[in-house]
Amino acid sequence: MTENWGQLKSFEGKRFEALDAEFTKEVSKLIGGQDLTTCYSCAKCSAGCPVSDKVNIQVHELMRMLLFGLKEVLDTDMVWLCTTCYQCQQRCPQGIEITDIIFGLKNMAFRKRITPPGYVASRKALYDNGKLYEPTEWERDDLGLSPVPPLDVAETRKVLDKTGLMKIEEGK
Amino acid sequence: MTQTYEVFLGCAIPARFNNYEASMRAVAKELDIELLDFEGASCCGTVVLKSIDEPSWLAVSGRNIALAEKRGHNIVTPCNGCFGSLKDCAHVLHDNEAVRKTTNKTLSALGLQFTGKATIRHFVEVLYDMKNEIKGKIVRSLDGLSIAFHPGCHLLRPSKVAGFDDPELPRKVDELLELAGAKSIPWGLKLRCCGSPLLIASESIASRVLKEKMISVKAAGANCVVTNCPACHTQFDIQAIGMKDDEGSSLELPALFVTQVLGAAMGIDADALGLRLNRVPLDPIASFLGL
Repeated sequence: MTENWGQLKSFEGKRFEALDAEFTKEVSKLIGGQDLTTCYSCAKCSAGCPVSDKVNIQVHELMRMLLFGLKEVLDTDMVWLCTTCYQCQQRCPQGIEITDIIFGLKNMAFRKRITPPGYVASRKALYDNGKLYEPTEWERDDLGLSPVPPLDVAETRKVLDKTGLMKIEEGK
Repeated sequence: MTQTYEVFLGCAIPARFNNYEASMRAVAKELDIELLDFEGASCCGTVVLKSIDEPSWLAVSGRNIALAEKRGHNIVTPCNGCFGSLKDCAHVLHDNEAVRKTTNKTLSALGLQFTGKATIRHFVEVLYDMKNEIKGKIVRSLDGLSIAFHPGCHLLRPSKVAGFDDPELPRKVDELLELAGAKSIPWGLKLRCCGSPLLIASESIASRVLKEKMISVKAAGANCVVTNCPACHTQFDIQAIGMKDDEGSSLELPALFVTQVLGAAMGIDADALGLRLNRVPLDPIASFLGL
């Protein structure tokens, strides 16, 4: 299956049509985005990142794209290959909440259907069951563990209907 | 004095690592920590939901916190993922009034409100506070066991949210392991992510991250890896099975939960610690564990 995410594989020969200041502003308003524009591109984020040598576009490049207002950032593999380890955010000399910004970018990408399919399946599981996985009963019986306290799925669905989780894609 | 918490198990422990829950409960019993059932718990919210839609994450995570608050209890969890998600949610809702209002409007449909009065702790934090009590319970020294302790990311970072240990030089859980007589050895990639959250996006990249970790563990000369998180443990005790380095040498290493190590040193029976459910064979360290 062809992946629909991570399609921007290199800056080589790439021409960007516009620098969109509104996009930079939009990202600054994300949870954790408040200090985005203080980035001076030292690349300490990429130095500690566990996937720097495994991605096409590294996290300091992603940050530069955000400052340049390049929406194509949503097509970089760095967005979905961020492990959420928070090392970049922990070490950023400017205190930029980089990992949290990347969470916000994932939200934006998901709305454009730019996402690994596992996330679409997990969304359904979370909505249908209120959980990602079900207990393994035979193990619990063997160990003498009590049943996991029950969840009324109607409760989590009520919450997720209010937030509109199942209809967040654009145009829906 | 008995400490009382509602215990938030999350999804991964009851599904894959019931040995972690069993050993946590066995150790808690020794230390007189009271663990109440968390009635009505859903998924913690998790980095998965935070990645898809932050308002939904805050509402789901916030609902769990609000349930414990309504019952007047504090929360303890043995999972780094749940710890990170619940703490992060509380942090955002505490700091951001507009987001808190929106989330509470959603939660009002269930008659719930996030107020921020419940304390959210990782089980190892509670253990660290009871260092002296633990010391008095050690009956079998694990002298000779070299542990590569993997703290995992969300126990430590971002430290502003986690608030547990030094993010660059963590020592607290290592101190606990050394109370058991084991040695917590330094290793190069100790603070590096295990790669577990990438299993959903790209199993091959998750494996590359893990392989680097295992090479570092082996080079340091550890007998075993110890974790305090079911997501990390999925990497070390499931995904590492059959993994080899470029020369074809096995990279498997016994993987234990911190509560299994402490439990063994407290003389708790191997079956009660669920040691027979660990996947990577424990033969090389069986003598330390009472197996």
